[in-house]
Amino acid sequence: MTAVGERLLKSASVFAAPSFAGRFDKLGVVIFALAAAALPLEPFATLKANRIVSGKGLSFFDALPAAVAEPAFGLLLAAAILALLRTRPELKLVAGAVAIIAILALIGLVPGHVVPPEASLARVAPASGFWILIFAFAILVADAMARLELGPVARVSALAAAALVVGAILGSGLWNGLSVLKEYAAHSDAFWREGATHVELAFSSLAAAVLAGLPLGVACQRSPALRSATLPVLNIIQTVPSIAMYGLMMAPLGLLAARFPVLQDFGVRGIGAAPALIALFLYSLLPVTANVVVGLEQAPAEVVEAAKGMGMTGSQRLLRVELPLAFPVILTGIRVVLVQNIGLVTVAALIGGGGFGELVFQGIGQSANDLVLLGAAPTIALAFIAAILLDALIEWLDKRKHP
Amino acid sequence: MNKLTSLVAGLALAAAAAVGAEADPIVVASKIDTEGNLLGNIIVQVLQAHGLQVTNEVSLGTTPIVRKALIAGEIDIYPEYTGNAGFFFNKADDTLWKDAAKGYEEAKTLDYDANKIVWLTPAPANNTWAIGLLESVASANKLKTLDDFGKWVAAGGKVKLAGSSEFVNSAAALPAFEKAYNFTLKPDQLLVLSGGDTSATIKAAAEQTDGVNAAMVYGTDGAIGAAGLVVLDDDKGVQPVYAPTPIIREAALKAHPEIADDLKPVFASLDLKTLQTLNGRIQVNGEAAKDVAIDYLKSKGFLK
Repeated sequence: MTAVGERLLKSASVFAAPSFAGRFDKLGVVIFALAAAALPLEPFATLKANRIVSGKGLSFFDALPAAVAEPAFGLLLAAAILALLRTRPELKLVAGAVAIIAILALIGLVPGHVVPPEASLARVAPASGFWILIFAFAILVADAMARLELGPVARVSALAAAALVVGAILGSGLWNGLSVLKEYAAHSDAFWREGATHVELAFSSLAAAVLAGLPLGVACQRSPALRSATLPVLNIIQTVPSIAMYGLMMAPLGLLAARFPVLQDFGVRGIGAAPALIALFLYSLLPVTANVVVGLEQAPAEVVEAAKGMGMTGSQRLLRVELPLAFPVILTGIRVVLVQNIGLVTVAALIGGGGFGELVFQGIGQSANDLVLLGAAPTIALAFIAAILLDALIEWLDKRKHP
Repeated sequence: MNKLTSLVAGLALAAAAAVGAEADPIVVASKIDTEGNLLGNIIVQVLQAHGLQVTNEVSLGTTPIVRKALIAGEIDIYPEYTGNAGFFFNKADDTLWKDAAKGYEEAKTLDYDANKIVWLTPAPANNTWAIGLLESVASANKLKTLDDFGKWVAAGGKVKLAGSSEFVNSAAALPAFEKAYNFTLKPDQLLVLSGGDTSATIKAAAEQTDGVNAAMVYGTDGAIGAAGLVVLDDDKGVQPVYAPTPIIREAALKAHPEIADDLKPVFASLDLKTLQTLNGRIQVNGEAAKDVAIDYLKSKGFLK
């Protein structure tokens, strides 16, 4: 750190609270405050008489049997206090992880404690207290991981461990009493079918965008005239709202299919996957193309000159020197596209494209928030996993390039 | 991408294969709402039980999307409401939509002449704007029809109604009821949920938010029963009738004319109360629409 930076930091901490800053971790204060307030004050779970009525909030101690609630309260409070103190990040990581696993397990115990056996329609769902606690300890874990400066491999391992924990809880049946898993039980066919469609749509539109965006980006970098004609158009496409874009795709595709009925047999129609795929492809084109251009421009001129001096032809230079050098930047564009597409596919359900949006929109129509959650949660998880995996890959490639 | 791979594979084959017209599967679709899901699944099950090949496009999208898809021939059959034909053909103001039989005949004629779409037998139910009243209030005051309700309110009955601002203000909705049944609700007898849908108004009545004991509902809403509401009969026919009816492209019907008779007894069995109950099982109990459809069809002997 520079001397100026150090001085700035010192004066900032003096300004904040001199005696406080010495002993307590600043982020830890926030985490502690959130957890300590949410534990006694916010409802941990909601009990609803049936799927659509408003529920009754249950405090931490009402939601859980006393024999579990008391030690659990102590455990979570201890983890929050640990967050408050200035200790080693490894310790904080463990505390945060243990707290999160405990909260995830505790919510599974609520239905057995609060639902009378004859109330078959009653629903239990996590409430604000649960979400605040998860949020607080997730910050603790994220902060500890950032301080540990975990490498890409460690981050992917952490992701795998988290997936294992969630998988184990799901597999154990601990959460089966929760409302969102009751939705899953009723919609399990649709869940996996729409999930597969969701992934297919997100990835195939990405693949198409890479196939088209790569040559387009190379051409744009070579020809400024083409670039100034192409990139603004792609920029404008990005600003079209997704539902409008899907709507716009329907008319021309419908006409095309009506004119050439043979196309209909192969899936080219105004509704369904085809308009969704094309809309997503168009959205993906800008990030891919723009990152190819930027990536190629960043290739050091002397390296390209050296390649020229070695007698490489234009295409040899492109394939063996420029593109490999641009690859991490291109991958960043691909990451943006993938995460964006995983989210955008949701809206495709409105034009018959399928995907997790199908569950989301059905849930909205039935005012069943848990069905909305059943569609939204895996979408978020997919986007999150894609982001972590691709980030790790980009960093790993970067490290190989500049060891 | 299944459809994409089939596109590629298909294009490759297309040149070589001048395939004869193999019996195309019937593409069954529906709107994305609860009742659309239920009726779409019922149609799928009935057609499959009669040995037809079916492609399932149930809960395809909103009304304009499903409608466009049918006209374009991308789907073959879906359940539509008779009253909606008034909007499709720009004559929603016509009073004939308020008569179930006339509305059905008009929809059938217009859609066949314009689009060669056949309206099959409708269900004897009406999914239109209605007033739902807490059952305790209705039975205590012996209120079954809107006529009873109008007299009771005019005589000072204690009522507070939750409705969307469209329901309260649009001339075709509450004001039409008030005019036909001779009652007026004062502003303090109304809870206006701007942009509220029926799930919000039903919730307000069920939980008696702010003293609400009546709600704007759609006739076959699944939450009505669970919320302890009863629908008051629109005995003077103030609202257009929205009877759920399977509608099918003539070309598809000609290929499989038996579809009309297969669906006729099934839709004839779906009255208001039945649809409320079945929709309620999906919306309130959270059962899958497909399971509810199969269970109902089996209980009625339409499915073995």
